[in-house]
Formats: sequence, C-alpha cells, structure tokens
Amino acid sequence: MNIEELHNRVESGIASVKTIEDLKGFKLVLLGRKGLFAEYLDGLKSLNKEERKDFGREINSLKSETEGRLKGLEDHFAEEERKREQERSWIDITMPGKIPLTGRKHPITQTFDEIIRIFSSLGFSVAEGPEVETEHYNFEALNIPKDHPARDMQDTFYIEPGIVLRTHTSPMQIRVMESQLPPVRVIVPGAVYRCDHDVSHTPMFHQVEGLLVDKGVRFSDLKGILTVFIHEMFGPDTPVRFRPSYFPFTEPSAEIDIGCVICAGDGCRLCKETGWLEILGSGMVHPQVLRGVGYDPEEVSGFAFGMGVERIAMLRFGIDDIRQFYYHDTRFLSQF
Amino acid sequence: MRIPFEWLKEFVVIEMEPHELAARLTMRGFEVESVEEVESAFDGVVVGTIAEIEKHPKADKLSLCKVDIGREILSIVCGAKNISPGDRVPVATVGARLSENFLIEKRPVRGIDSFGMLCSEKELGLSNDHSGIFILPEDFVIGSMLAHAPGIRDVVFDISVPPNRGDCLSVYGVAREVASILKQKAKLPIFRLDDGQENIKDYLSLEIHHIGACPRYVLRMIKDISIVSSPFWMRNRIMKCGMRPINSVVDVTNYVMLELGQPLHSFDYERLRGKRIEVRLTEGNDRFRTLDGQDRDLDKGDILICDGEGPVAIAGIMGGENSEISVHTKAVALESAFFNPLFIRKTARRLGIRSEASLRFEKGIDVDNVDFAAERAIFLMNAISGGTVIKGKQEIHERAEKKTISVSFARINEVIGTPIEQQEVVEALRSIDIFVIAALEGNISLSIPLFRHDIVEYMDVIEEVTRIYGFDHIPPTMPVVTVQPQKKGLKDIFTRKTKDYLISAGFSELINFSFSSLKDNENFLIPPSDERTSCVTIMNPLSKDYGIMRTMVAPGILKNVAYNINRGSKNMRFFEMGKVFISNGHGLPEEYPTLCFIMTGKEREYFWREKATDYDFFDIKGVLEGLMGQFGLDFTLMRSEEPFLNRSRAGDILVGGVKAGWIGELKDEVLEAYEIEQKCYCTELRFDIIMAKGNLKVQFQQIPRYPQAVRDFSFYADDAVPVSTLIEEIKMVSPLIQHVGVFDMFKKETRSIALRVIFQSFEDTLKDETVNGLQEIIITKLANIKGVTLRT
Ligand SMILES: [Zn+2]
Repeated sequence: MNIEELHNRVESGIASVKTIEDLKGFKLVLLGRKGLFAEYLDGLKSLNKEERKDFGREINSLKSETEGRLKGLEDHFAEEERKREQERSWIDITMPGKIPLTGRKHPITQTFDEIIRIFSSLGFSVAEGPEVETEHYNFEALNIPKDHPARDMQDTFYIEPGIVLRTHTSPMQIRVMESQLPPVRVIVPGAVYRCDHDVSHTPMFHQVEGLLVDKGVRFSDLKGILTVFIHEMFGPDTPVRFRPSYFPFTEPSAEIDIGCVICAGDGCRLCKETGWLEILGSGMVHPQVLRGVGYDPEEVSGFAFGMGVERIAMLRFGIDDIRQFYYHDTRFLSQF
Repeated sequence: MRIPFEWLKEFVVIEMEPHELAARLTMRGFEVESVEEVESAFDGVVVGTIAEIEKHPKADKLSLCKVDIGREILSIVCGAKNISPGDRVPVATVGARLSENFLIEKRPVRGIDSFGMLCSEKELGLSNDHSGIFILPEDFVIGSMLAHAPGIRDVVFDISVPPNRGDCLSVYGVAREVASILKQKAKLPIFRLDDGQENIKDYLSLEIHHIGACPRYVLRMIKDISIVSSPFWMRNRIMKCGMRPINSVVDVTNYVMLELGQPLHSFDYERLRGKRIEVRLTEGNDRFRTLDGQDRDLDKGDILICDGEGPVAIAGIMGGENSEISVHTKAVALESAFFNPLFIRKTARRLGIRSEASLRFEKGIDVDNVDFAAERAIFLMNAISGGTVIKGKQEIHERAEKKTISVSFARINEVIGTPIEQQEVVEALRSIDIFVIAALEGNISLSIPLFRHDIVEYMDVIEEVTRIYGFDHIPPTMPVVTVQPQKKGLKDIFTRKTKDYLISAGFSELINFSFSSLKDNENFLIPPSDERTSCVTIMNPLSKDYGIMRTMVAPGILKNVAYNINRGSKNMRFFEMGKVFISNGHGLPEEYPTLCFIMTGKEREYFWREKATDYDFFDIKGVLEGLMGQFGLDFTLMRSEEPFLNRSRAGDILVGGVKAGWIGELKDEVLEAYEIEQKCYCTELRFDIIMAKGNLKVQFQQIPRYPQAVRDFSFYADDAVPVSTLIEEIKMVSPLIQHVGVFDMFKKETRSIALRVIFQSFEDTLKDETVNGLQEIIITKLANIKGVTLRT
C-alpha cells in the first residue's frame, strides 16, 4: 500500500485549492463516500492483520490531519467571504444625517421657566391674573390714586373708564392678598401693556411679580432673597447693588442693579457708562397697601418685587433689540 | 432734572470729584443718569483780545481783525459789528471743532486768509444768542483755554428725581440732599433788597376766595425797569438746565424756579385792570386765552388768578395773553404762591399742559419758601433790569402746622433688619431737617419740614433712615417664614406638559402681542353674529392694527408665517399659548387661555434619501391625537361650520360633547388675505376646556401575559360611511378586541379600506376557533352596513 502516494495527493490537492468551490470539490474527492480515503481504507481489507493495523493507523491519522487542514481552509474562505460581503455594503458615511425635527421654546418662556424654577425652590407658588384689569386693582389699591404723579410714569391703554390693560403684574399682589390670609409667598408671571413702541419698548411685554408677606419680614430679608435669585440667575459672582428708589406701593423701595454683563463695570453703551444694569424693582409692601387688603401692618410685613422678563432674556442671550422677540423669524427662534 | 455742578457749589462746599458725588447721589435714590462735561464742546477755543479792526478791502460788511491770543497775533475775518479794540473774545483757532460738522480751518474769505473764527454764544453752544460775538468778562486770561474759564468749564448732572420728591426739583433742593451726604447744611443765597419809598398797598390789593386751593399767595412789585437780555452767567445756567433764555424778567422767574424750586409768575402791571388780584375757583364754563395764544376751556374747580375784571392766569399752569410781559413792560407784579397740588394736577391733566411750573406745583413746593423766592426774584430783576423796587408785599398766608410723627427705635431696626444705634438714627434724620421734638423710652416724636410732602407716616421716616444709613450697609438675611407647602399650579402643569409635547413634536413657540384688528376678523370671514366679534376695544390704541384685543390666536400666527415665507423659509410648525378676550359688554371681559398650532409646507425641504411630502390634514390631526393622549382625552371630529375653514378638510373638535375648538385646512381666500400661497393646517383649542376635562393622573394597566391574535380585513366602503363607523362597529363586537387600526386606504371608484384588528384576552391564550368566530361576526356585521362590501 502506497501511503506516500496518498500523502502526495493530499498535499498537491490542498495546494491547488484556490476557491471555496475548489475546496468543496477536493473535499468530495478526498473524504467523500467514494473518495480517496474511503478507497484506501477499503484497500486495507486485502492486507494481513499486522499490516492492516499499521496502515490503518497511518491512514486514519492522515485523514484527521487532513480534515483539520480542510476545516482551516474552509474558515479562511468564509472569513474572506464575510469581508467581501462587508465591502459590498459600503456607504458614504460623510453623507448628511437626518436630524429629528424638534421645536424650540420661545426665549421668553425659557426665561420665565428659569425664574419660576428659582423662586419655586425658595417656596414660592405661582399665580396668574387677568390682563384686562380694573383701575382699582391696577392703580388705586396699589396706592396710586387718580392724578397721582406716579401714573405719569406709565402710559396706560384704556378699554373703558375704569378698565385698563394692566400696566404691571402688581395688581395680583392685591388679588392674592384679598383671597387669603398671611403667610403669602407667591410669584406672578404674565403679560403687561404700555403705550410705547420703539427699539427698547414693545406695547406688550412680560413681568414676574413676587410677594412675600409673613410675621416679621425685614428689609434685609428682601436683600437676602433677591441676592440669592440674582446669583442663581446670573451666576454666583455677579455683583449686586441695591439702591433707593420710589414705587407708590412699596416703602422703602429699592432698585436692584447687577454688574454690567458686557463691560464688567468699566462702563459701556449698554450700561450707559455706569457699569450697572437695572434688573429688578422691589420694596417693603407699603402699609397703606396692607391696610387696604385688611392686613395689619403692625402684625405682618412683607416685600414685593417685579422684573421685566424681556430685559433679563436680552441680557442672558445677548439680544440687543427687544422687538426681535416678536418678529418670530425662524432664524431667531432656532437659536434658543 | 439737570443740575450744573458749579451752581450746586454755591450752596454747599464740594471737594469731591463730580463722578464720585454722582455715585453717592445715585445710592441715595437720586439716580444720576449722566454726568455731562460741558467743556468738551469747545476744545481749541481760547480767550483773545481784539488788537486792531480794519475794514475788509473787498467787502463792506466784513472786517479784518488782529486778535491777540497770547502766543501770537491772528488775522481773522469777521462779520459781526459788536466788537471794538480791547474786547475779550472767544477765538476758535485752526483745528477747533465746534460741532460734528464744523471744523475751523484756515480759509480765504473774499480773498483774504482768515486764521480762525470769533464766536457767538450760540456757536459755542452756550446759549441761543447769535446777535454778535460773545464779549467775555474782563477777568478772563488772554491765551487761556475758554473751557478753563470760571462758569464755563462745568459738568451737568442729569438726575432722575423720584416722583415723590418734588422738593428736589431745584438746585437748592438737590444741594440739601448733597449737604446731607457731606454732613453739611445747604446755604440759601444771601442778598439785600433795596426797597423804594412807595408802598405796594398803593399799587395792588389781594384777595383769596378759597384758601384751601391757595393757602399762601405773595405779590411783590418793581417799576421803571427796562427789559433787556440777561447777563451771560444767568443765561448760561438756564441753558445748562435745559431751558431757553427769553428776557431779563422771564429769565429771572425761571432762574429762581430752577434755583429754589418756587415757580413764579410775572404780570405786566400796567395791563392789570382795577389794581387788584383775586384768587378764585372757576364756577361755570369759561374760556381763556393763555400766553401761548391758545384758547383754553376752563372747568369747575380750576384755580384762576383774576384782576379787577377777569382772569389773567390759570394758577400754577400758565399766564394769560392779556397780562403777558412784553418788551414794553415797565412795571412787574410778581406772583409767588403755594397752590394746592390736587387742584393743579386735575387742571393740568385736563388741559394736557405739563409746564415746568405745573410740574412743581403738582408735586408740592415749599410753602415756607414762597416769600423768600419772591424777594430773591425782585432783587435779581432790580439788579439786571434796573428800576425801583416797590416796598413791601401783599400776602395772604394760612399757616400750616408741621407734621409730627412718632416711631420707636426698636420698630425702625425691626423693619430694616439692622442694629442701627439711636444716635445714628437721630443724626441721619437731622441731616435732612427732621428733628426730634420729644423722646421717651425708645420712642421719638419727630417734626417734619413742610417741604417734605412725601412723609406722612412712620414708614416714610424709616425709609429715610434706611436711605441715609445706606442700602449697602444692610446685611442680606434670609426670612424666617412659616413653612407651608407650595400650591400646586394645575395650569402650570398642563401648560408645561403641552409645550413640552409640542416642542418634541417639532413645533416652535411663538408669543404674539394680544392685540389684533377688526381687519383680522374680516380676513377670517367671521360673521357679525359670531361671539368673536364681541371685541374688547382699546380706547387709545397705538395704531389701527392694534385696535382690539384678539379673539383668536390664529391670525397672529398667520402673520408670522407670512413674515417667514417672505424671508425664504417655507416649512413651519408653530404653536402659541395665550389668551383671547371676549367682551361682556362692559366691565372685565372673559379671558380664555387658548392653544393654537399650525403646520405648513413639509417636514423639511429635502432629504437626499427620500422624497419629502407636503403636510396634510392627517399630519396635524396626528399631533392633536397625541396631545389629547397626553391628558387621557378622547375627542371626536364633527363637520365644522367655521367660516375660515375648507369644510371638506376640517372639523370641530368635541371633547365630552363640548366644542373645544376646530382643526383643518384654512380656506385659500383667508390665506390670500395674509399673502400666503401655500396650504396651512391649523387648530385652535380652548385650553380651559382641555384643563377641565383632561386628566393628569397616570393609572398603570396590567401588561397581558397571553399572546395576542391579529386579523386583517379589507372592505369597500362608500364615502358616506366614515372609517370611524367601521371601527366603532368592530369594537362593539367583543371586549376581546383591543385595538382596531387602519393600515391601508386607497381609492379607485370606491374606497378600499384595510383594517387590522388585535384580539387580546387577559385570562388565557385565545383559541383559533374563538378568533375565527369573532372574525365571522365582524365580516357579517360590516357587510350589513349600507355601502360596505367585503373585499376578497
Ligand atoms: Zn457696561
């Protein structure tokens, strides 16, 4: 029996396998039911016991070795095929992707949300009130009687005698206090109206009013709460300044300035060379106002504050023309 | 209020830099809005003296001057006639810039080179006097910069005086506040009036009919004056305060008003009839011509100043033409008075006149200062216009008691949150002329000066202490408050959830003005019977476009759509949540929170992988379905009668049987009114109804443990049979039917509709026989509907 020849045929056969098809054919020739190994094993029958045993062992070991080598080749061809498959599924990953369409919250709403978040964390509830308001709530109850000089500060839209578009969110101070006993801790976001339309004024704009009334509330508490607010809103290092001001419905009244966000205090056009930007009006609720809603100013005290949302949004986002908020250019809206 | 710094320094010693003082005033509540440098206007202008004047050889009206400016002699051509050798004059040298467009250059004037220009006051911006060259006082140093000369170099504070501080609408008033800052006392001007021999009683009598309207009135007189132009220093100060110089009499009254805060009025004595002045209230309707030539309608309660025959001035507002000072005036009767602010305010408001005088009277002036101001003015008139002062005054004065206010030191510190020492409180108040008149066990009684009309109760005093102590010295504290749960804002939660949903669905938020116009109602074809024509109308609108409060949100959004289309973007998804206003006839209107959203164009202009299709009704309906799902709401669509909708592609939205809004394609003619040429799908919802019917509660549903069964059905259905009927009919067949979906629809002659039904049991796995049985029932049931046939 010529094992040498079997060996040679295996070697030359493997060497000639170039493709998976070659491999399949060769596998059949070698290992098939009528294949070379079968033929050799069959040939063992004609040998004596000793030879059969020796040749048999040799053929079988060659067979399993060959099977192993063919399996290796098979894996190799499969791997090649997978690679080719991947090549075929090539895409140009530099083509643009499909951005999901999402909308944007109006920058004013975003600013409202941030203000409300801060005051909510300080225990303030949110209330809303009518935008068409009586002169009583808009003025008289806030210590602004008819012909009071402070009415000159505001240009009011009238609906009919006694009915106006609210010029501030402050009327809700009265409505809230009338509807409940102290303690009061509330903020009022909303739209307000004044007859003015130019680069720095729109006839409708937005305010957030705040009111805290309780036993023993001090002016220093107003400073404390509003300092916390400003540091939350504009960053913990923002300089804050409280200076005396006048509002008919608070006393003492304070205007609150922050260090200019543009020039950091050196003076620029935005801050009119002062280094400061007016951001909030505030003050201790006037005893006259407390008495008007049936609170006893000797028993309870409190403070109120109000801020223009557009102004804060302009500073936050660096917008220089208030009218931008109302054109609703998609190129504007998509920036927020 | 414009306050010249050099004038301020007449009343109080200031060593501080103007900017520092400005900062201190701001922190006192007197916001200095600007510190304006007056000198910067005339860089390059020096003091010169006229050495020689010759005639210009080629022009009769011009002269050729040799002007000595110290370092050299300049040759300057000049057209003015009021100069003579030896005069000191302001010389704008070559290179000086008198205004933005006025640069001084060497240039030939009728053939002779001129090396600069001699200036008038007007050219220097010092006054409006352009009658000739500004002849400078003798003490101005030749060759020095004009800007450095006394009274010229100055800064002007523009102070925003708080509306309740009428006492600070004068240089002296501000000086009082400055003195308090600098721990001084402001000094009133000192002068001596040279009385003549004649007594005013022989010239004028005075009567007040209504002392409540005018508790103090003083008349003083001067005669034989000549009306001239006021001296430079006076005109300069008046100009710096923002007023215009007129003549030596009017200027003095304005000057004293600016100086002391007391408005004054001068009458031409010779034009006063009957040698008398009466102060009375108008009784009936009257008409009166004021000195600006306008006829004014008087009304009951106006204070009138009358002579022997009739009105000569509307008190505190404006004088009459009939007694006005003119260039021929020889004798002046000067009025200084305190008029009740309430009366003046009412009249000024009604007549729409805001004069410098009425502004001050309205806020209340210093009643104690009335006669001093009159004396001061007569003194100045005498000094400038010459003449003879008539001795004495006519005066009626009902004296008012000073207010007394009590407060305790403890209360002061309790309100402010400070430990301010008693002595510090007393000193602070003393610095603004509030004095302790009694003190007992930590309580003090204080006397309030009459010029402080704003201080009426102890909180006003505490405000003053706070202000003077300094806001920046008060430590910030956190309030000790009652702990209470925050009230849950339902509207806030609904609103937030809605906005978040719409934003995730690709809608951007808009906030439009709540104003609208009747034109919008017209554009939307709203018939007169519609509730939305009950508009809240603005009496004083900014323009017709903003004439009413909106009754719908959609028109505003269409304007935004048009705006963006004009700027090249065609694809939009917008929403707005705001109020609409429906009038109740009178009183407060209804304010309904309303949600509107719109889709127009397509999702995106292009995407390389697929073709973009235009939005249609089902895009916006899907958004609505998703929104309603957020609040667990079912809704049905009914045929809509809204006049602005394309009725075959629109519907009214019913929630629990109530109309909550509308949805659909807007009519082309509506869109055309807004110049929009593409389809717009829009819906508007009454958000109060959504909030009332909606549910924020989330209830977990068991997830079924058994597999579901799915069956598909195909039918032909006439247009008369809506898909919703098919779905409802199927759902009624069995509680095991969990969902019915439409997975295909196409139309050839009739509509072919493919439905997918999902069967689900929570108790066991559904057997095939069960599902098949139900399938049969469904087929039979639907096939029995008129216009429906099974498709095989
Ligand atoms: Zn700045």
